[in-house]
Amino acid sequence: MSPDRSPRYFGARVARNQDDRLLRGQGRFVADINPPGVVAAKFVRSNEAHAAIANVDIADALDAEGALAVFVGKDFADCEIRCVSSYPGFQESAQPILAVDRVRYVGEAVAMVIAENEYLAEDAAEVVVAELDVACAVVDAASAMHSSCAPLHEGWRDNAYVQRQAKTDGFEAARSGAPHQVSIELHNARHSGIPMESRACVAEYDARDQRFRIHTTTQIPHLIRAGLAIALGVPESRIQVVAPDVGGGFGVKGQLYPEDVACCLAARSLGRPVKWIEDRREHFVASHHAREHRHVLTGYFDDAGSILALEAEVTVDMGAYSVFPWTATMDAGMAMGILPGPYKITEYAVTAISVCTNKTPYGAYRGVGRPAACFSIERLVDQIGRQLGLDRTEIRRRNLLRDEDYPWHSPSGLVYDSGSLVESLEKVLEVSDFGDLLQRQSHARAEGRLFGVGMAVFTEQTAHTTQEFKQRGVPIVFGYETARVRLDASGTAVVSASIHDHGQGLETTLAQIAADRLGLELSQVRVEYGDTEQVAYGAGTFASRSAVLAGGAVIKASDAVAEVLREVAAHLLEASPGDIETGLGRLSVAGSPSRFVEIRDVCRIVYQRPELLPPGVEPLLESSRTYDAHPGTGAYANAAHLASVEIDSLTGATKVLSYAVVEDCGPMINPLIVEGQVFGGVAQGIGTALFEEFLYDEAGQPLTTTFSDYLVPVMSDIPDLRIAHLETPSPHTIGGMKGMGEGGAIAPGAVLASAVEDAISPLGAVTVNRLPLTPERVLAYIHEATHQGQPT
Amino acid sequence: MREVHVTVNGASAAAAIDPRMLLSDFLRDRLGLTGTHVGCEHGYCGSCTVLVDGASTRSCLTLAVQVDGKSVHTVESLAAHGAELHPIQQALKDCHGLQCGFCTPGLLMSVAELASNGSTCTRDEIREHLAGNTCRCTGYQHIVDAVEQVMRSLRSEAVDVS
Repeated sequence: MSPDRSPRYFGARVARNQDDRLLRGQGRFVADINPPGVVAAKFVRSNEAHAAIANVDIADALDAEGALAVFVGKDFADCEIRCVSSYPGFQESAQPILAVDRVRYVGEAVAMVIAENEYLAEDAAEVVVAELDVACAVVDAASAMHSSCAPLHEGWRDNAYVQRQAKTDGFEAARSGAPHQVSIELHNARHSGIPMESRACVAEYDARDQRFRIHTTTQIPHLIRAGLAIALGVPESRIQVVAPDVGGGFGVKGQLYPEDVACCLAARSLGRPVKWIEDRREHFVASHHAREHRHVLTGYFDDAGSILALEAEVTVDMGAYSVFPWTATMDAGMAMGILPGPYKITEYAVTAISVCTNKTPYGAYRGVGRPAACFSIERLVDQIGRQLGLDRTEIRRRNLLRDEDYPWHSPSGLVYDSGSLVESLEKVLEVSDFGDLLQRQSHARAEGRLFGVGMAVFTEQTAHTTQEFKQRGVPIVFGYETARVRLDASGTAVVSASIHDHGQGLETTLAQIAADRLGLELSQVRVEYGDTEQVAYGAGTFASRSAVLAGGAVIKASDAVAEVLREVAAHLLEASPGDIETGLGRLSVAGSPSRFVEIRDVCRIVYQRPELLPPGVEPLLESSRTYDAHPGTGAYANAAHLASVEIDSLTGATKVLSYAVVEDCGPMINPLIVEGQVFGGVAQGIGTALFEEFLYDEAGQPLTTTFSDYLVPVMSDIPDLRIAHLETPSPHTIGGMKGMGEGGAIAPGAVLASAVEDAISPLGAVTVNRLPLTPERVLAYIHEATHQGQPT
Repeated sequence: MREVHVTVNGASAAAAIDPRMLLSDFLRDRLGLTGTHVGCEHGYCGSCTVLVDGASTRSCLTLAVQVDGKSVHTVESLAAHGAELHPIQQALKDCHGLQCGFCTPGLLMSVAELASNGSTCTRDEIREHLAGNTCRCTGYQHIVDAVEQVMRSLRSEAVDVS
């Protein structure tokens, strides 16, 4: 059922409900939580990438002032984190809570020190001595897969978690019949989400009820509870997970970490609450990494530039352990699926390998595999255009999927439901003043300045559910989200949702949806989330799905509650329920606006005057509903990005001069929030493109462990964006909504690589194939361009 | 232990503390002012920014004993309990200049310092001035919108941060 009046809040640029507490310094983050008797934990971490543990000497630490306990690997050896994919041939890893006999990356915890406060815990941790017998470290995927390299986990055949391949039936014929081909090898650096709040947890154990309660910085409270239940060997009903205000996630807070398990175990052992705050240096080595892909692509095409077949080789360096709940297959699988991108490619052959190395385990980061895939296919398309002398807009126009192609069954098995690819490309040319940029470019070139323009187009699977995740071989299928909508006797609503809001504004957008469906003011709706005791089962927030899936569940639950309101109002007004309209706080008879009851009066009557209810109506205004956007193959958002850059030819520094985005996420609940998500995503993508890289030396020692060596974009690095929206509804979702939280971060690598290549082109032709485009790399490209044909 | 006397948000506070205690920990753990957030503990990200005698200061790089006898303002000083938001806070809300809200208190104190002399800046100047406050969510554009708005509205009057 749809609301009777046009929505007041869906589509409105309303300010957010949660802002007041955050602006006043009244946010409640994990670090702000201090139960009585709380003690501090500090982890002692391996400073070697690969070693056997000879001994961990904790004697001095136990004697240190304020020290309460020191745990080592054998103390927690009954617990571990395993995440097993159902893909054939998957090799399992078991991640210890504290390393037992071997360490596999710098940053892996070997001991946990508990003391009266954080200062004393750090003092005691300082004097724990881990005696390590250093082994040869495997620091890159190629070395890990070399036949001479011993497997890093016992019983493994080699260092591949899994290898997969797929080929369409017509691939070989299309390849052999193609008149042209071009190949390109592409590298994406290892980096990650780097939220401003590092990880933290506070674990408590109630011995009376034998129950754990853990406040932790997570995006996925129920999945963390599921993982803890497995790791701790207790039923889920004995664990309460609370994610309060969380200071950014971006995927890195979407996994179960050993520290969560360790704090629970320590709290049970000591009978006191245990609090751990990750420091920033730890975050760089102990929170999951992401993004390190190597792709080799070959495109086969005809004289007109039509892509006849695509061949791809995907290698992802997944680090030391398979992470819960995603497994070590997610990034490679996502890249395999989406590499053909927004183009009408029918024949495809792909191999993908997920490799184990002596580096920090690898998890999710905004976009998961898609930024790398977009970088690769867009770079390939640019090279095809270059080979044929077609400009970058024309080669795209010739290959992009068009309206008549939907639904598009991609050669990797995805079903693209809808999109506006050509329209978004044409519109971004307008929004960016493309013609003006080309004029500025010719002026700059006349002055010898390196000015470049780049663009990219992508389509993005969002809000994919059961059908998609069951194919990904994950142990928990993330199919649906849940919402409970309750009206109280005062006529105000509480929406309890299984998602988590750590910046996305769902506390507001879900309230907008419920207010419309129930006919209430926005201020009369409160949205709660994050506490497994308070909200129903669901997966949480990741994969650009929460507004669509929790939004759909809120619509279903609100409509069920509104139905009861109508029934009661009809009884009170002596009308038919079908004639009752809701809106502006009232239930009124259609065509007779003077015949109405206030919603708050109906709510009061339902709970407090049950004798007035119509026969058969229960005194309850509450509904819990789930939503799994059928058929589960996803709602496809799309966007086109276009940027201009200028390179300082002396330093190699790239300045982003302009950046334009045309995005299409279907009907927008709150355009202000959509734009905020796009701006934030693009800024992170500019970090991917220009700055961010976890560096290791050949012994596996991380070289980037502070914000001085790992650079994230600051305010002066980011230009003002121009943004425009298209709204193509999905045929698969309630209201046509599509996800959009990740999209901004997907294209900037491709866009800025294209722009840098274009900027350098007057000096000579180079192929920009490696991110980030640090000044050193850009200088190397300039050198390559200017020294072509010369002996090196 | 060392005795410190400090005025925090206009109220005097005295405590005997370990000389190595950071100002950020003193504010958060001793005074319960948890609005000040610690994002990196190496003075880079700016989440912990407070004003010491009116000047923006990284509380994670400052020892509490260093502010003995001084006046400290934290985010909690901007709007009194129950009172309306400070114009800087209101502008950030109106312009959607915050998402997760973790870096926001430190950013607010930097903006308070920038806006306190009543001057106006171009968008590029705002970006340069506030480059010491890292935000990972917003991409900064809505923050710049908010600072522009507050500078416009407060052009004629100095911002009161006391």
